[in-house]
Parts: sequence; C-alpha cells; structure tokens
Amino acid sequence: MTRLTRRELALVFGAGALAGTAQARMWRPLVQSGVVGLAEARAELGKPLGPEKARLAMAGALAAAVGAESGVETVAALFSPRDVVGIKVNCLAGRNLSPRVELVEALVDLIAEAGVDRRNIIVFERSNRELQRAGFTIRESGPPYRCIGTNNDYDREPATSGAIGSCFARMVSTTCSALVSFGVVKDHDLSGVSAGMKNWYGVIHNPNKYHDNGCDPYISDVARHPYIRKKLRLTVLDGVIAQCHGGPAFRKGGIFELGMVAASTDPVAADLWAWREIEAERSRRGMPTLEAAGRPVRFLATAAKAGLGVDDPARLSLVTA
Amino acid sequence: MTIDRRKLIALGAAGAAATLHPPLLWEAAAAQHGSSASGDELPAREASWYKKLEEGRVECELCPQACKVADLERGMCGVRENRGGTYYTLVHSLACSIHTDPIEKKPLFHVLPGEKAFSFSTAGCNVECKFCQNWEISQFRPEQVQAYNLPPERLVAAARRNQARLTAATYGEPVVFWEYVRDVAIAANAVGVRPTVVTNGFIKEKALREVLPLLSAIKVDLKSFRDEFYRKQVRGELEPVLKSLQVIKEVGVWLEIVVLLIPTLNDSAAEVRDLCAWVKSKLGPDVPVHFTRFHPTYRLTDLPPTPVASLERAWKIGRDAGLNYVYLGNVPGHPGENTTCPGCGEILIRRVGYRILSNRLVNGSCPDCQRSIPGVWS
Repeated sequence: MTRLTRRELALVFGAGALAGTAQARMWRPLVQSGVVGLAEARAELGKPLGPEKARLAMAGALAAAVGAESGVETVAALFSPRDVVGIKVNCLAGRNLSPRVELVEALVDLIAEAGVDRRNIIVFERSNRELQRAGFTIRESGPPYRCIGTNNDYDREPATSGAIGSCFARMVSTTCSALVSFGVVKDHDLSGVSAGMKNWYGVIHNPNKYHDNGCDPYISDVARHPYIRKKLRLTVLDGVIAQCHGGPAFRKGGIFELGMVAASTDPVAADLWAWREIEAERSRRGMPTLEAAGRPVRFLATAAKAGLGVDDPARLSLVTA
Repeated sequence: MTIDRRKLIALGAAGAAATLHPPLLWEAAAAQHGSSASGDELPAREASWYKKLEEGRVECELCPQACKVADLERGMCGVRENRGGTYYTLVHSLACSIHTDPIEKKPLFHVLPGEKAFSFSTAGCNVECKFCQNWEISQFRPEQVQAYNLPPERLVAAARRNQARLTAATYGEPVVFWEYVRDVAIAANAVGVRPTVVTNGFIKEKALREVLPLLSAIKVDLKSFRDEFYRKQVRGELEPVLKSLQVIKEVGVWLEIVVLLIPTLNDSAAEVRDLCAWVKSKLGPDVPVHFTRFHPTYRLTDLPPTPVASLERAWKIGRDAGLNYVYLGNVPGHPGENTTCPGCGEILIRRVGYRILSNRLVNGSCPDCQRSIPGVWS
C-alpha cells in the first residue's frame, strides 16, 4: 500500500490530460485502479457535518481519487453531461448509519456543476420509506435533484450473472446511464463488510437468496452484471461514523468516529479500504478479526478475480486530500 | 397507468375469485395491503419456529436452511424478518394468490376426486428452483407483489361460499407461511373443510410434526433423487425432503408425490429407478407417484419440454418397481392420468387433464374385485 498526496497523484496521472479527455469527442470515464481518495470529515454521532464541511470533504476525496485539481474536474472526468446519473445510497440502517444527506447533496452539486442536468441526477434506494428514514426528502422530479425509491419497479424477466438470477431495478437497467454507489463503512454479520459493493444488493429483487457462504460469489456476481459494471463510475463511502461490529443494522456499541470520506473509481479497492479500517478498529478494541469472528470477507477476492478491481493491499494507493 | 405482469397475475387471481363470489373481491380489495410502492411497512406476527441468538440475532428453525439472521435482515425465504431480536413472519394472512381449483390440479388424485380446493399462497420460497413455474410469486418478497388481507376464518368462509370442500396451500411454498397454513387448517377443520398442502417438503421435522395432524392430505414435490441436483438446481438438499416424506407417512397423513422430469437433469432411467425403489421400500407401494412434464420457464429456458417418451419410460419403471399408483401429469388425455385397480387392472377413475370423466369407486373400493384403494374418498 502506498500513501500519496493528491498533488503527487496528479503528477503521476496528469490531471490536465484528464480534463482534455473529458472534453474529447470519444469521451470515456476515468478509472484509477487501486486508488482510493480520502478526505477528513469529522462529526459526532447524530450531529450534522454541515454543508461546507461536506462539500470540502466530498470535493477533496473525489479529486484525490483521480488526481484532479478539483472535485468538479474529477466529476467531469467521470460523467458526461448527457448522462443520467443514479446515486444508490444504502439506507438500511436508518439515520444513524446511512450516507449523510449533506454529503450526498455535495456530490449532487459537484455533478451538476460539471454539466449534468440536475433533473438527470437521481438519488435512489429500494423504497421511499428507507430514504425518508435516513433523512432524505422524496423528490419525484426535483428540484434540486430527484430522490426516489425504486419501489419494486423491476425488469420483468430475470437476468443471470454467474450464480445469481435476478430482476434488476429498472433504475439501473434502463433509466440511468451512469451509476454511483454511495455506501457507509460497516460490519456485516454474513459478508464481513458492507460498504460500496454490497450496496448493489439493493437493486435486485431477491437479495435474500444470496446471503449464504458470506454472500460469495453473489456480491461479485451482482456487481459484474453489465447493468452495474458498464455503468459504475464511482464508489463513495461515508466514513464519518463507521461501525466495526453488529452490522448491518445500527448498533451503538459498534460505532466509531472514523472521520473520513472515501472515493474511488475502483469498487474493490474502496471496499478493501473499508475492510482495513474496520479491522483496525476491531484490533484497537481487542476484538477478533472478521475471519476469526466467522465472517471472512471472501467476496473481494472473487470480485478481483472477476476483474472488478484491486484487492491486493500492496497495490492499494490511499491518496489524502 | 401501467401494470406489470405480477400485478396482472394477482388481479387475475382475484378476478377469478370474484367471478366465483363477487363479495370476496370487494373484501379483498377493501383490506388490501399495498405492495410497498410507498415503502409501507408490512404487518408482522412473531414467527413460531426460531430461537434467539446473542447480540440480537435469530436462527430460523422452520426449514433446513437454518438462516441466522441479523437485525433488520430477512431469511432466505424473504418473508421472515428480524426486528430487534424478534423474528417475524410478514405473510401471515397476506395472500397474494387465491383461486378455486379442482383437487386434481394439485395433483391429489386420491383425495375427493372432482372436488374443489380453495387454493391460496403468499409470496416467498425457501429454495430457488431454476425451473420454478410460479417464480413470479415464489421468488419475490411480500412487498413486491399485490396481496390481500385474508385471515384464516375469512379464507375458510370464502372456501365454503365457493362450495370448496378443501383448502390447498399451494402455488408458492407453504413452508414459508407455515403459521398461516396451521391457522387455516384449524379454521377449516372447525367447519368440516379439509385442509391440504402442496409443498417441497424442505422443512424441519419439528415444524412439520406440529402441523401435520391438522392436515387431510399433503403433496410433496420430490424434485430429484440426487443431492447434486438439489444443490445446483434447487439450492436445497435431498435428505431433509426424504426425511419429511417418511415423517408424513409415519404420521399417517395422506401423501402423494410429484416428480417433475426435466430432460437431461433428472430423467435418467437409473435415477427414476432409484427413486421408485426408495418410495416402495420406505413409504410403501400405495403412495401415488406422479411424473409430470417440464416446460421451460424462469431460469431454465434452454431445455425443451420433457418428451412424452421419457414420461412413459418413468411410468413403466414405476410400475415395474411395484408401485401401485403411478401417474403422468401435464399430458392431457394420456392413459397415465387414470387410476387403475392394482388388483384386477380395471380403470377406476378416468381423467382428462383436471376433469373426471368417470369414477367407479364404491366406498373407496374397486367395484370389480372389491380391492380397497387407499386415499381420502369421503
């Protein structure tokens, strides 16, 4: 694992070239394998981060993730103005352990500033109720952005990907051309970690079928379906408050103030970072590793083998804003 | 307004019920729980078969999946949820399909031939058969399908209004709504309606034994006689199903078995022979075995329908193995639909599809040789 500053990364990857790429006729989203951008963002449990701090953290993490000069520049490297951008938030655990509204809105603003029509930015979760419980306001058509549950609007026929056979939410199969996984950093009683990749369980109709064997290979199989793989541009993890034990529901005893926001174009690397932070906190508390606790994080190796990203700690680059 | 196929199916079922008795639709619609289009929370009742674990987790004791479920999560069936360390069923009295069928459709050929069975189901299933014929309800969660509040007493009252002498928990997988099955059976027995169940038999023994004495008949889908098939095509296991069959036989509830023959996957002569030999030795020769025809569906669309020749081979293997009642299904008009007396060889009940053309049984016996034919005849 290497730790770089954002400026060092910019020199390595050439942020200027990135901006040029974004404007080129053959526009392609940027991918930085193994790189996770990090920005500090501290707030106590139940206390708001505040829009300014949220903006700073989000822009910093994004820029660090791709070595760009600004968050807007980063977003321009990831999304085309023609995109319909779906931001999948994981709100299962309610207000205390879901992506913070202010962070999500900071991302929405950055995407809009990069040229995407606000009407084409959709924050979504499985149901309106879950969104509302996490503090989001339902906005069927905006402004300033759309925020809706998929509300059981699935494809009519199942799609197969590896071991899974699922009807995908039309939000990902049809409506959106680009996707963001916006998760949290938390322990999961079966998969070990629930961060960015497991968040995609929320777009299939039958996630309950795929929790055996530590959700492996199912998490990888969902993420490698073309609906996700071809559209996923970014993973963002709200690590302001994280949970090292007792997930996926909120459990106060497992909470810790990690104080970070992470962003990556590599979904496997993002989850690898989350896993390391959870293990570090468990170690600090004298708790057994996730593997020793009976929930080894197997799905990352499977996802890496499927070519979804980097799970090798030696190739993980953490870039601080 | 758009409507998807699942809603259409549910409405179709309700419509069929309404045709039989218009007030039922009104009652159902009036009490309807919306599919959680707005994320409404489903009604919940504490489950009857589970145990609490440490740190708010629970372990389901209903089926052999034995799901260990954390707070806010559901078991593999998708219809049982841990809420703060208590496990709930989300489908008790929440019927998503209701219809009055001939009992032959279950199929239960040795149970009140020609009578109606008021049939019902909820969403959810504890396995995932790639060839599921009812996947649009069985493979969905309760908030994803249109459903109706139909408590046991009202369900049984609806059955009586429709002149149904039986109820049938069917379509989806009754194991996942086992508390509802139990309570419907209690309500049905109280007024002389006979409760039946159509199941995969993938259930733990304790839960099975607690409900079996309430039932008049049970049909089990034995999906294969190979554990590998169960693991790959069903995501279940063979052994618990065989155990269930033996328990049902031991308790004495009328039992029939259906085997869906799928080309190349479970239709080899060797497998059929093993299956029939096991049935004869463990359950006896009088348990009816129905070999039925597969049609491509759900995740198994790359195989053809079962050739009739494969079905006929299985029919012969079963009879050669010494089974007295071997039937063929999904082949309307085939002689394999008829009940033949094992004593004299005469046809006793002649069927085409779900229709009874003639029934010559007299007090459950052959009128020609007086041999008693096992079943529920009155």
